[in-house]
Amino acid sequence: MKLSNAFKGKYAKFLFVGIGILLSVLFILSLEGVSDYTSSDKYCVSCHIHPVQDQNWRLSEHYNNKAGFVTHCIDCHLPPKGHGYLPAKAKHGIKDVYGKLFKDSASFDWETRKTLENAKGYVYEQSCIKCHQNLFPATLSVNGSNAHLQYVNAPEGTKPNCINCHLNVGHYDKNNLHAHNASFGVTETVAKELFAETTHIQKFENFAEKVPGTTLTFELVAIPEGTFEMGSPEKEELRKPDEGPVRKVHLSRFFMGKAEVSWDEYLEFFKATASQGRKEAVVNQPVTDAITGPTPPWGAPDQGWGKGSHPAITMSWKAANTYCQWLSKKTGKKYRLPTEAEWEYACRGGSKDPYFFAGSPKKFSSTGMMNKIFGPDTTVINSYVVYKVNSSSKTKEPGSVKANPFGLKNMLGNVAEFCSDFYAPKSYKSASGETLNNPTGPENGQEHVIRGGSFKSDAKDVRSAARDFTKTKAWLMTDPQMPKSVWWYSDSNDVGFRIVCEADSTVVGQ
Amino acid sequence: MENKKNLDRRKFLGAGVLAGMTVVGAGALLSSCKKEATNASLGLPPILKGAPKGRKLRAGLVGAGNRGTGAAINFISAGPDLEIIAVCDVFQDKIDAFRERFKSFNLEIPEKNCFTGFDGYKKMMALEELDVVLLATPPRFRPDHLLEAILNKKHVFMEKPVAVDPVGIRSVIASAKKAEALGLCIVTGTQRRHQEDYIETYKRVKAGAIGRPTAAKAFWNQDHVWFRTREAGWDDMTYMVRNWNNFCWLCGDHILDTHIHNIDVINWFMGKTPVNAIGNGGRHRRVTGDQYDFFNIDFDYGNGVSSHSYCREIDSCTNRTGELVMGTEGYTNCVNTIWDLDGKVKWQFEYPKDENGNAMNQLKIPAYVQEHMHLVHAIRKGEYVNQAEQTALSTLTAIMGRTAAYTGQLVTWEEMMKSDMQLGPKELVFGPVDMKFEVPVPGTPPNI
Repeated sequence: MKLSNAFKGKYAKFLFVGIGILLSVLFILSLEGVSDYTSSDKYCVSCHIHPVQDQNWRLSEHYNNKAGFVTHCIDCHLPPKGHGYLPAKAKHGIKDVYGKLFKDSASFDWETRKTLENAKGYVYEQSCIKCHQNLFPATLSVNGSNAHLQYVNAPEGTKPNCINCHLNVGHYDKNNLHAHNASFGVTETVAKELFAETTHIQKFENFAEKVPGTTLTFELVAIPEGTFEMGSPEKEELRKPDEGPVRKVHLSRFFMGKAEVSWDEYLEFFKATASQGRKEAVVNQPVTDAITGPTPPWGAPDQGWGKGSHPAITMSWKAANTYCQWLSKKTGKKYRLPTEAEWEYACRGGSKDPYFFAGSPKKFSSTGMMNKIFGPDTTVINSYVVYKVNSSSKTKEPGSVKANPFGLKNMLGNVAEFCSDFYAPKSYKSASGETLNNPTGPENGQEHVIRGGSFKSDAKDVRSAARDFTKTKAWLMTDPQMPKSVWWYSDSNDVGFRIVCEADSTVVGQ
Repeated sequence: MENKKNLDRRKFLGAGVLAGMTVVGAGALLSSCKKEATNASLGLPPILKGAPKGRKLRAGLVGAGNRGTGAAINFISAGPDLEIIAVCDVFQDKIDAFRERFKSFNLEIPEKNCFTGFDGYKKMMALEELDVVLLATPPRFRPDHLLEAILNKKHVFMEKPVAVDPVGIRSVIASAKKAEALGLCIVTGTQRRHQEDYIETYKRVKAGAIGRPTAAKAFWNQDHVWFRTREAGWDDMTYMVRNWNNFCWLCGDHILDTHIHNIDVINWFMGKTPVNAIGNGGRHRRVTGDQYDFFNIDFDYGNGVSSHSYCREIDSCTNRTGELVMGTEGYTNCVNTIWDLDGKVKWQFEYPKDENGNAMNQLKIPAYVQEHMHLVHAIRKGEYVNQAEQTALSTLTAIMGRTAAYTGQLVTWEEMMKSDMQLGPKELVFGPVDMKFEVPVPGTPPNI
């Protein structure tokens, strides 16, 4: 049979099909090859120019372990085959190529990218489970067992992600201590003079408080008596229904901390009152002479971002409240958390606009279609607020922003702040239209109000009227202790507080 | 022949299809027939006449008291090639008595395999040749013993209750999961779960014989239990461990020690654990220790379903033990009888007959031995068994009831699962013990 005949007649069909199959096989094999090649660590590193992450990976348990087993980039950063491997590869690939061609890798904000929220976008739980099939290896510790029991017993939908607890297994982070931090805050000794006595206030004006027996001093701003409109009008951009209806509120004068309570301040309290006892029953007792304070925290409460004048974070509402009690006892003044009304009044500083500076939430927010494409306008807000766009996912020191009309710093952004009120979505609705005098919020509740938004917030959530609340259960999700801590939140790192000092006649001029 | 030839193509097809349909239909009919659920498919132990043959299994006993000695004898009588080769106990005299007993069966326990003291179990479990350990000490020590057994890759038989506090319970559950990962079998001494009469009753209840459960009761009322008065020369720890059945930190109180059998049956038949407990209890007649004489607990299983659980250890009172589960279509005593709502017997378990042909009212093989047959069967046949978590959950149910009575408070399952309650001294050593042993008073903060 001539070769040419092969393309004719009844053989042709078979030949074409045969060639087709052969080509397909070759194509698929080559794809497999391409796929394998493009999944190698070498290939990943060829575009992902992040020497620090590369180094951290080598220092991590996933590389540096007794067994000499190496977990490769794609073992975590792509799902396993059969769990959407190729679609995920395509998705990340397109993003990576775009980034490679159009972006400067030096400008990438790696600090933000390695936060839990972001990591969930490119670490696949199925991949963790593919290798880590036994959640109860024989040598697992008691705390580890408790945590994994919680994980397996959690109803679907409320299960934490593996990296909620094991965030740094793939990239080493020296700040991520996975243990009780018994030496937290107690090792630092500063050779400074201890204040002999507290500041006596003669006139209602700004003053610097001194805490006797400590080196602790901080500034308070005198907030004059006044009436304001609390909440946001319905026409305010990007508002939420719980901010209304607007109500008139009259407030007596008070002092307010110029900035959020700093680590320097909080650690004085921690050192003075830290305890081992963590029974709820004990800390709920009325405050007597000895104030029982926080237990040693789990891990690094400051997240390794620095202490000093950075705002203190991760303490529970109860701990913040106990701080105020301790401060009152130390100074003989009446310190407490601000009411929600005091907070908003102080924040607005006379302004009725969405922010205490000029600007529109829609322009500042990163949520709208146009802003997503072209980027939001940040010129004004940048100088007043530490929020999602400018924070690198960390708290900042108060020196980095301008003050509001009252002279208070970081009312909006940086860290959200506890108020003394219980939160209720309809707490404003109960008002009758008359001017309320020093309102204190609902009588009962589960969670407390937090205000001001944080370094994680979009511009729409750092408006003066924006409300939020504590989420106790979620904020303790990965605390492995039984029972969970009443002093520290394991899963919240953007909430702190600011103190208020009452300014009645017993305090001023004493 | 004529007929066959006349059978034309169409007819033939028709007949064939019909025949085919009949076969398929019959098959479908057969397979749609309700298959009787097997013990294995219901997670129930097999009922055995003896443990199967297989490789020799060597066991070591932890805790050589009455129950421990009994368990060791039960183990060797469960089947062929089963040996006890090691023993440990905190007291030397218990070990001596145990070896004496085994010597009377012509079974020698070598001196080098006997260990005393609070850490004797660690030395014993390190023995390479041991395949199985039997844990029969007071329950306070069980969680540590179980964990050590798993770390040393031993199969386990352990007595109930499996702990005295929530910290111990979580340890047992974690160890159970570790054992499962390693393929190590664990059988527990909740003997009702191994009794054929209970198992057969359960199968019928599971198949709907009483409808949906609406209520239950569980009760264990008996005369006073043993106690020991202090002898000269005994330090605090020696006295308490010798009199362990009367100290809550060692025993867990009798709601754990005995009533757990009934509580476990109710959890089993309900298919879940209660969401909370409220109850009362008290102490009138006890001579030693810090425990109660009686408990009366309402275990709430949710949706209005409760189990009335009560137990007492006082002489000259009405003594009854047992269970009852009430359903929408009948009720059962869980052990051998199912009644309809009018009190008519719907089903009764048939006990084996003696040589005279009379029903014996009991099983031929005691449940104490059946447990060990089950364990050996599981190891030798590779049919994995692990009852530790199930028994831990029933023990925690009893702890929840105890806490409700001691405190007078409503106690929830969630609180129990999270509780850091851990009973007993921090360190287990002989000598003086710095602990107060006040009898709990409801309505006051618990002293534990």
